[in-house]
Amino acid sequence: MKTLLEVKNVSKQFGNGTKALSNIDFTVKEGEFVSIIGPSGAGKSTLLRCINRMIDATSGEIIFDNDHVYKVNKRELKKVRRKIGMVFQHYNLVNRLSVIENALHGRLGYKSTLAGILGLYSEEEKLQAAKVLQILGLEDQIYKRSDQLSGGQKQRVGIARALIQNPKLLLCDEPIASLDPNSSKVIMDHLRNICSSMGITVVVNLHQVDVALKYSDRIIGVNGGKVVFNGTTQNITSNDIHQIYGSDEGKLIFDLGGSHAG
Amino acid sequence: MQAEGPIKPFPAPAGQDLDNMLLERLSKKPFSKSSIAIRMSMLVLAVLTIYAFSSFDYKDVKLWDALILTIDNLKTMFFEPHLKHFTFTQALYQVSITLGLAFLTTIFGAIIALMLGLLAAGNISSKPLSVIIKGLVALIRAVPTVLWVLIFAVAAGLGSVAAVIGMTFHSISYLVKAYSESFEEIDKGAIEALQASGANWWQIVFQVIIPSSITYIISWTFMRFEINFAVAVAMGAAAGAGGIGFDMFMASGFYFDLSEIGAITYFILIIAICLEIFATQIKRKLKEAS
Repeated sequence: MKTLLEVKNVSKQFGNGTKALSNIDFTVKEGEFVSIIGPSGAGKSTLLRCINRMIDATSGEIIFDNDHVYKVNKRELKKVRRKIGMVFQHYNLVNRLSVIENALHGRLGYKSTLAGILGLYSEEEKLQAAKVLQILGLEDQIYKRSDQLSGGQKQRVGIARALIQNPKLLLCDEPIASLDPNSSKVIMDHLRNICSSMGITVVVNLHQVDVALKYSDRIIGVNGGKVVFNGTTQNITSNDIHQIYGSDEGKLIFDLGGSHAG
Repeated sequence: MQAEGPIKPFPAPAGQDLDNMLLERLSKKPFSKSSIAIRMSMLVLAVLTIYAFSSFDYKDVKLWDALILTIDNLKTMFFEPHLKHFTFTQALYQVSITLGLAFLTTIFGAIIALMLGLLAAGNISSKPLSVIIKGLVALIRAVPTVLWVLIFAVAAGLGSVAAVIGMTFHSISYLVKAYSESFEEIDKGAIEALQASGANWWQIVFQVIIPSSITYIISWTFMRFEINFAVAVAMGAAAGAGGIGFDMFMASGFYFDLSEIGAITYFILIIAICLEIFATQIKRKLKEAS
């Protein structure tokens, strides 16, 4: 399969001297479901944000869909960004706006400044938004204000906003870290479904090893800003996982038997 | 394993001994630096107050008589109000001029301040630009509105033009601070999400910033409108900007008509109360909506 994303030798050093990422290397193929796991503060979020340049890497190169993300100008970067949907831990919706207005925000990258300012969307776009919301099971909430939704529903609106961009890649920054187990399953099932049936590549940061094992094709383990594991879910061993988290054998809660149910 | 018995009760109070022990602890309040500073400054203020009263030059004014006369004046003002030099309709017209002055300067100020406020908000503007604008408006705000009107009177002449420019000037600086601070309180996540989807600055401003802070914008703007009404009354007198303030100036400084001053004060008071009620209602509506 074609390579969609190539991360080459990426390092990030923050202004205060802390090295968040050092020499990160990996590739993601089209249609893959990749989980990035690792302890808190390992640089997972930074890594994800370096891909669409929400954070600028200090050195290295990222090639997404044949575009050199770090060599394009501002205009072209916007075009790259609209091909990458992003889902956040805290949903990041505009609370005072309705569900469909929030979902349609995903179209702004395609619209002229004036149409975006006035919130003028075409019938087609509205229909597409309604369809995506329907797939995510939010058809009854279309005109509800988004602060009236539950956490799981908010996250689904977040996913809808990303999907309306018609993205090739979905970056999810700990999408289920603030959700209860039930909503977490719904969200992960949707993400897996998006990957399998729509062919959209998904890269997701996760805290839950179990979830990563169950849903992903491949796991990238990050610790101390370095990639310490990169391999398929079938090949990962208990020892690898303990190495990723830098902890002793038997001190973590996960179950290798549960892998690959989705 | 058998469950343990019920939770043990607190040990019975030891009686007088314990009380005494605790009272002793309480009396040993630590003597901190700040408490010394507060006590010392209270003492100094008390001494200065006593000295000031004893060293006033009262001339021939007798305190008691002066007090009685003042109360008498107030009585004439507020219990026998009448309009002599103009009619009720004219007074109403003059109040509307004052309101118009307040409205105009608030609208001008709000429109310009909205733009500058966006540039001054640290989360959506560049750091140096934000610092420059914030510094500039702080400087403008430090000078009172009346002074700005008088400064602009040099170029525009004393009158309504100077009043409009000066009041607008101060309104801008006030509202820029209020707006930019409400913009900065917006959850930065939504801004990040739209940036990540390729939206540009203007789209983010109108799709995230304004919808999220509209209640603050409205309530701050109305607050400034109330302030501008009070200033507009003063400007009528001080800068000859017209309106009810000018009539008040004539009644007091020209005709020495205490009753008319009282009538005008009632007019202004009623308008101010109406504005206050209106503002409270708007705020309640906004709160219900959010």
